[in-house]
Amino acid sequence: MLLSRVAENLYWAARYLERAEATARVVREHTNLLVDFPTSEALNWEPLLAIVGGRDDFDDRHDRADEQSILRFLVADRDNSGSILMSIEHARENLRTTREVLPREVWQAVNDLYLFVASHHGEGVARRSRNRFLEHVVGEVMRVSGILDATMSRDEAEEFLRLGRLVERADMTTRVLDVRAAALLAETDRVGASAFDDVQWMSVLRSLSALQMFHRAMRCAVDGPSTLRFLLFDEQFPRSVAWCIDVIDRSLVRLPDPDLVRPACRQARAELASVAVDELDGDALHTTVDLLQVAIHRIHDALASTYFLARATGSVPVT
Amino acid sequence: MAEIEAPVGAWDELIDGDGQPRPSAAKLVEHLRRITVGELKARQDAADLDILAMGITFTVYSDGRGIDRAWPFDVIPRIISAREWASVEVGLIQRLVALNRFIDDVYNDQRVVADGVFPAELLTDSANFRPECRGVHPPLGVWAHICGSDLVRDADGTMYVLEDNLRVPSGVSYLLENRAISKRAFADLFEAQSILPVDGYTDELFRLLRSLAPDDVDDPTVVVLTPGIYNSAYFEHSFLAQRMGVPLVEGRDLVVDADDRVHMRTVAGLKPVHVIYRRIDDLFLDPEAFRPDSTLGVPGLLRAWKAGTVGIANAPGAGVADDKVVYAWVPDLIRYYLGEEPLLPNVPTYRCLYDEERRYVLDHLGELVVKPANESGGHGLLIGNRSTAEERARCAQAIERDPRNWVAQPILDLSTAPTLCDGAIEPRHLDLRPFVLTGRTSYVTKGGLTRVALRRGSLVVNSSQGGGSKDTWVVED
Repeated sequence: MLLSRVAENLYWAARYLERAEATARVVREHTNLLVDFPTSEALNWEPLLAIVGGRDDFDDRHDRADEQSILRFLVADRDNSGSILMSIEHARENLRTTREVLPREVWQAVNDLYLFVASHHGEGVARRSRNRFLEHVVGEVMRVSGILDATMSRDEAEEFLRLGRLVERADMTTRVLDVRAAALLAETDRVGASAFDDVQWMSVLRSLSALQMFHRAMRCAVDGPSTLRFLLFDEQFPRSVAWCIDVIDRSLVRLPDPDLVRPACRQARAELASVAVDELDGDALHTTVDLLQVAIHRIHDALASTYFLARATGSVPVT
Repeated sequence: MAEIEAPVGAWDELIDGDGQPRPSAAKLVEHLRRITVGELKARQDAADLDILAMGITFTVYSDGRGIDRAWPFDVIPRIISAREWASVEVGLIQRLVALNRFIDDVYNDQRVVADGVFPAELLTDSANFRPECRGVHPPLGVWAHICGSDLVRDADGTMYVLEDNLRVPSGVSYLLENRAISKRAFADLFEAQSILPVDGYTDELFRLLRSLAPDDVDDPTVVVLTPGIYNSAYFEHSFLAQRMGVPLVEGRDLVVDADDRVHMRTVAGLKPVHVIYRRIDDLFLDPEAFRPDSTLGVPGLLRAWKAGTVGIANAPGAGVADDKVVYAWVPDLIRYYLGEEPLLPNVPTYRCLYDEERRYVLDHLGELVVKPANESGGHGLLIGNRSTAEERARCAQAIERDPRNWVAQPILDLSTAPTLCDGAIEPRHLDLRPFVLTGRTSYVTKGGLTRVALRRGSLVVNSSQGGGSKDTWVVED
């Protein structure tokens, strides 16, 4: 018997943790691109803003979109609710109101991470220390997942943590594809396309920690269509859009009234099935990803109206 | 070798007047004298890290903003002998039983008033008397199920009851957490002697709460009701819910239906609730019955409680006995209801309501502690011998304006215990808050929460005003 309010807090805590981890991965990978990038071409940091979100907010408060200001915005900005610092803080605040349903170690691990980020976020901005900082954030969020996996009963509370994590993850995968892949596809049409394309596609995979699993599953060279196919459709890789939607769908059966949410999952799956990867150019990919994101948001809305909102207004009969 | 600074004037809990350890503290003092201050400091630092990592916090307010602060803890425990504690326990239970008889009486027959033992005007004036509760008979006649009493020890070693907190007493979670931390700091000493365990509290509390369910409910649903994350004791509310494995609810999670039944809003719809351990003050509990502007409470809760569909601890209105004015009558109430002499003494208390006692207070402000009758957290307190003439003048005005709201007591030399302060072990004043549960049976924590004034000479132990805490060991000699 999980309170609606607690379910919602758990769901958002998991989303924020996943967001912090995903942001850390994407920023880390983008920084690593520097190594492979020709010195003649300046690395553009702006795609990071597009992936993580908050471009308008950033522009309102900054004159220039250079590495330092973008990194500060994404890692350490207290006024950006999507920064790593604030994501961890939001996750902690949400868990603080739900401590009684969590294994104690989970709270401690999140609290540890919060204390670390609150005092070390400057290291995530400076290029010299950035990698270590980001590795730590990724590692600690994974530690939280590990503790949950090993110590938390598979009850309703755990279910909402899982749902939050998966919705956020599916959303993030589509964002990375939207920004990085669409830009790459657009460039391929250009005469004398960049010789660094394959490096960049690898980087797309790496920013989702997907490169190694791509090789094992796809057994082919990294290029646009194969990358898209893997990140959208692979049924075994835990960051692909298909995998996230399928697990959400399967998890729902352990909650009350799953049939109020499952249609949204089926709809998202249908949307995914209609994507024809080989025919996509940059613009078409944009449109496709937009539709997928709408479908994922519908899953979120269905969860909210079934478990968070409807119950909170008391319109559901006594059972 | 660590040197322990000798106490001056006050009774010290660990060391007697000749600098010798008290018998139950012998092992600890010997241990402290064997290690260096540096070693002790290292254990203190480890304890502070544990507190930070475990997220043991309390919330303080400044500029209208709540700030989450790490719980202040001194690594050197305070020790009480098991023999002494056994007699304190009996005295605490006697007190709480009498207070419950009093509460039940004032909401029903008011025999205590008719018999001329308690003045009628005090009841009608009382800020904590709830006319809405007249005529209610909670199960077993118990209204105040959970009580946190503050005990202090004077220079001659006598333990006094300073006040009884019957509304929403807090601190028990810190008592339990302090033990967890001090076990790590002094593992070897826990092996070497018999220190009575404190962990049973949450089981006892859960058993008590379940016993408050309506008779026809086999497997009652118990919840802890919190005002929310911005309350200074939120950590504790969450802690207790966690330890009992019950939902921690806010007012907005609960709803009372037209049949006066309480439900909580869950992911599977509305589910019945049978017992509420509420940590919200009476006046905010139910906007339908009390303050209509309260957003923390649950409309209709009082109605459900009166209908007997839900048990509430402590019962609405129980705070009538949590009043520094009623306090002055407790010895009389014990004699009146139980026909027994009080086992634990009250601190002599002057009631400004009475002309004669008020005159004495106004003439002796410099020698008294003056307290508002209905404030907690040490606010509005005047400690006569540490006050300025201006503070005393302001206090005198406040007393003249509203005499009923003020009581005064002689300044006690609160006892001390050795405390680690800036690299030296120095005496600091402290008090003790044990927690008492009563229902079908009664239970007292082994020891309590020791609060310590961390500034030299200070008597203010409240954590919101720079106080710290210690683990309390009840040791079998």
